Amino acid sequence: MKQSQTSRRSFLALAALVPLAAVTTTACGTSGPGSSSGGGASMWYLTGEPNQTIEQKAVDAFNSANPNNKISTTFFQNDAYKTKIKTAIGAGQAPTIIYGWGGGTLKAYAEANQVDDLTSWFDQNPDVKNKFFPSVFGAATVNGKIYAIPNQYIAPIVLFYNKELFAKAGVQPPKTWDDIMSLVKTFNGMGVAPFALGGQSRWTSMMWLEYLLDRIGGAGVFKAIFEGKPNAWMDPAVIETGTKIQELVSADGFIKGFSSITADSNADQALLFTGKAAMMLHGSWTYGSMKKDGQNFVQNGKLGFVNFPTVAGGKGDPKNGVGNPAQYMSISSKASDAEKESAKKFFKDGILTDTVLTAYVNTGSVPIVNGIEDKLSTSADKDFLNFVYDMAKNAPNFQQSWDQALSPTAAEALLNNIDQLFLKSITPQQFAQNMNATLGK
Amino acid sequence: MSNAVSTAEKSSMAAAGGPVGTRGYKGGGLAWLTLPALVVFVVFAIVPLVGVIILSFTSWDGIGAIGSAGLSNWLSVFSDPGLYNSLGLTFLIMIASWLVQTPISLLLGVFTAGSQRYRAALAVLYFLPLLLSSAAVAIAYKALLDPNFGLATGLGLPLLAQDWLGVPQLAVGLVIFVIAWQFVPFHTLIYQGGVRQIPKSLYEAAQIDGAGTVKQFFSITLPQLKYTIITSSTLMVVGSLTYFDLIFVLTGGGPGNSTRILALDMYLRGFRANLMGPASVIAVVLVVIGLVLALFLQRLGGKDKQSSQLEGL
Amino acid sequence: MSTTLTSAKETTPTPPATARQGLGFRMRRLNIVGGLGGWMWLAIIIIPVYYIVITSLKTQSGYFGQNPLAPPSSPTLENYQLVLDSDFARYFLNSVIVTAGSVIPTVLVSFMAAFAIVRGKGRFLKLVNGVFLMGLAIPLQATIIPIYLMIIRFNLYDSLLALMLPSIAFAIPLTVLILSNFIRDVPNELFESMRLDGCSEWQTLWRLALPLTRPAIVTVAIYNGLQVWNGFLLPLVLTQSPGLRVLPLGLWTFQGEFSVNIPAVLASVVLSTLPILVLYVLGRRQLLSGLTAGFSK
Repeated sequence: MKQSQTSRRSFLALAALVPLAAVTTTACGTSGPGSSSGGGASMWYLTGEPNQTIEQKAVDAFNSANPNNKISTTFFQNDAYKTKIKTAIGAGQAPTIIYGWGGGTLKAYAEANQVDDLTSWFDQNPDVKNKFFPSVFGAATVNGKIYAIPNQYIAPIVLFYNKELFAKAGVQPPKTWDDIMSLVKTFNGMGVAPFALGGQSRWTSMMWLEYLLDRIGGAGVFKAIFEGKPNAWMDPAVIETGTKIQELVSADGFIKGFSSITADSNADQALLFTGKAAMMLHGSWTYGSMKKDGQNFVQNGKLGFVNFPTVAGGKGDPKNGVGNPAQYMSISSKASDAEKESAKKFFKDGILTDTVLTAYVNTGSVPIVNGIEDKLSTSADKDFLNFVYDMAKNAPNFQQSWDQALSPTAAEALLNNIDQLFLKSITPQQFAQNMNATLGK
Repeated sequence: MSNAVSTAEKSSMAAAGGPVGTRGYKGGGLAWLTLPALVVFVVFAIVPLVGVIILSFTSWDGIGAIGSAGLSNWLSVFSDPGLYNSLGLTFLIMIASWLVQTPISLLLGVFTAGSQRYRAALAVLYFLPLLLSSAAVAIAYKALLDPNFGLATGLGLPLLAQDWLGVPQLAVGLVIFVIAWQFVPFHTLIYQGGVRQIPKSLYEAAQIDGAGTVKQFFSITLPQLKYTIITSSTLMVVGSLTYFDLIFVLTGGGPGNSTRILALDMYLRGFRANLMGPASVIAVVLVVIGLVLALFLQRLGGKDKQSSQLEGL
Repeated sequence: MSTTLTSAKETTPTPPATARQGLGFRMRRLNIVGGLGGWMWLAIIIIPVYYIVITSLKTQSGYFGQNPLAPPSSPTLENYQLVLDSDFARYFLNSVIVTAGSVIPTVLVSFMAAFAIVRGKGRFLKLVNGVFLMGLAIPLQATIIPIYLMIIRFNLYDSLLALMLPSIAFAIPLTVLILSNFIRDVPNELFESMRLDGCSEWQTLWRLALPLTRPAIVTVAIYNGLQVWNGFLLPLVLTQSPGLRVLPLGLWTFQGEFSVNIPAVLASVVLSTLPILVLYVLGRRQLLSGLTAGFSK
């Protein structure tokens, strides 16, 4: 009896210990990317084609050439990634290579000493620095120091339209805001949604405000907001922008149920290429995914694209662009020296290699490297590529996406208020006031 | 089992034993048995509880260092209409959930407690939602509600083909419905247990007196279920403060702020807007509401049944 | 209600032809109303479940082309294959580890504490009991921010242990309360006879109290197990590596990754539910009583 008791106790003790032991080993086996030893570095990247494959291939190519500096990648969904990376950095468990869009978020990391200053590294490697368009370093620079290497492509926001539907309706792509409002009537009359919008992702709705504010008030309005000038959000142009957006929403300008469509699923693009919506304001990167998923919609020349229309009486230059000047990669200051070395080697030899460049051009993107023009002009997608390239080159002002330019706190407030503005649950005045309260945060 | 102890051992132990009490002996000597539980609980529940109060007076963006903020978080949160929206919504969902779930669960509890075989068979199916996690329920409903390929098209009911997740009022209603779908089975189970404990003799007596089923329900079943109702209600009310998982996956608080309950507001402020200080203020508000509600409901149940009400939390 | 006899047939709307007497008729009518309500609720429960299961067996084109409620014309398991190929087994294993690693320690330490609280005396134990009772009234999820901070400082961020420790702490108050209620029900004479046999309290704890409260222990283990198994907030905040995802978090990421592939998303929902469904089929009574863990006691 005594024995049976001890055996039960030891069984219980064993039962309690087994999972604990399993945990310890599991935790060690896959411990945070920041603490893996030896050479090699970790990198997080976004899911979604065609870019996921291109980046994975770039990493694979680099890894086979540099077996001692292997880069391990983990892929996250865009919207989830933005929260995850901040949490991981805060926990000191960031990957070696921190992917992002520069701007206010990068500034927050730099000011908390979470990312390394790369200025001197760029000075030692002038050929790396001179590889890129000079303009793309702006969003990577905080207080005069460079904290990230630019990567990938320039991604302006473009007004896409379905040529087939336009031909059927016998209309021309919009040149002015009034054109937009009349097209909305035309397409609603045909039973086609005028604009596709993945409103649940919120930054998609933000692209509308970015362009409208620029066209109405000029580039200076957001510049003042960015610099945190007092009452910068109370500019009358902001109110007019909000009013115009709500007019468009009221006129059923966006597809029914837009606020429950997420851009992560590319459902907004599907609406355009399946002919359920006539137009879509979206990043130039969607060209590549529509080409891949759109069942020859792009290949058969049915996808049209124009610059964002002008607004009567507006101050903005119609050639101004908005979007992402590039994507950026920083190095976590918490990484080991060996990891940092591997990352730098990857920055030097693995990013935007000739193969990668070609892959991006082939999917309809304009990589941010000098001397790319020849590649663009010989591509099957040269119309679109040259359109993007010229737009980026000729824009008197190319505004970085607001949610990336602003601090994480202000950006979250912005997205939240934009959501409510589109739902008409706040007025344009309330929008301006709410945002004004975030200045300097 | 005790007879296995040898007599030698017995005598030596008896010699060492203290005075015989009514219940237990050398009571203080047992205190160490509580230590493992106490240590874990203090470190991972009490310390964080104190921590959240302290953090509400600091500024921390989750990335950099933690600094002192004085009262500024409290002032900014309480002057923010967002707080009142979330508070109102939390109470709206709490009350609406209670109003929807209580009668349904109560009736289903009575129904499934019946002895008929088909009722037992139905009950097996009723409890299916209990097997799904909140995340699974939310994900399934998202697919189910697709206006083009979802349930509404299948049932041929255009009334159901709404933009459920895109219109603020509809989204709130939907959240209340999905919460009911997930949690009614659980409360049905509680009521079923309660009903089965009501002595049969009460009904037999009532039948002899000629009382009808309706009368029996109101004069016997309901009063007898008083404590079950309080337990179930306490669970619903306090549980509603933490419907985080379901709403986070289903709507993410949207559209706009229309389903942003307090727990979600805390998460979004803290982990998405990087405002840990203000998020901690919300957390303190949550704790206070939880405590007040629990004390209130405990009062309702009477002091003698104290522990049974507290079980509900 | 429970005294009248009904059969499934009676739920058809046609009223019984002969109403013997007023009372009997009224009761029967009420039963019909109850029956109808019961069947309606069944529809509300079963239609979504049916939709989830059949959709998970459809191909992409079947999903887009067929009536959503029609059974799949060419049922396929490829969605399940896809989910299983996407590290599902790993998430499952993580969930098992976290659940076992939380529930076993919870029950052990709570049982010891409950025993001491019931059998012991003194101000300290009263205080401990009070602390646990207070824990019941607090929505512990509200402490997630300091927990996140502590887990970072303890260097536990992104480990399964980070999920278990707070889970144990959150589960202790209710577990102690339920177990102490059951230990209190053990007749004092039994404790007395143990004492006269010369057993120490430590021996009494394991030899008497434990076997006698075994049903309660199974019950709280199931209850806590389901709580941890379905937990979402702690994994969301305290882990990041794909290799450490637990099932609910894995489901959520599947939803993002497969977003356009609804049949695969729903297949992952079904798969994540299977283990509990098996439990339900094998031990329905125990599982259901575990769920309500002494609430109607």
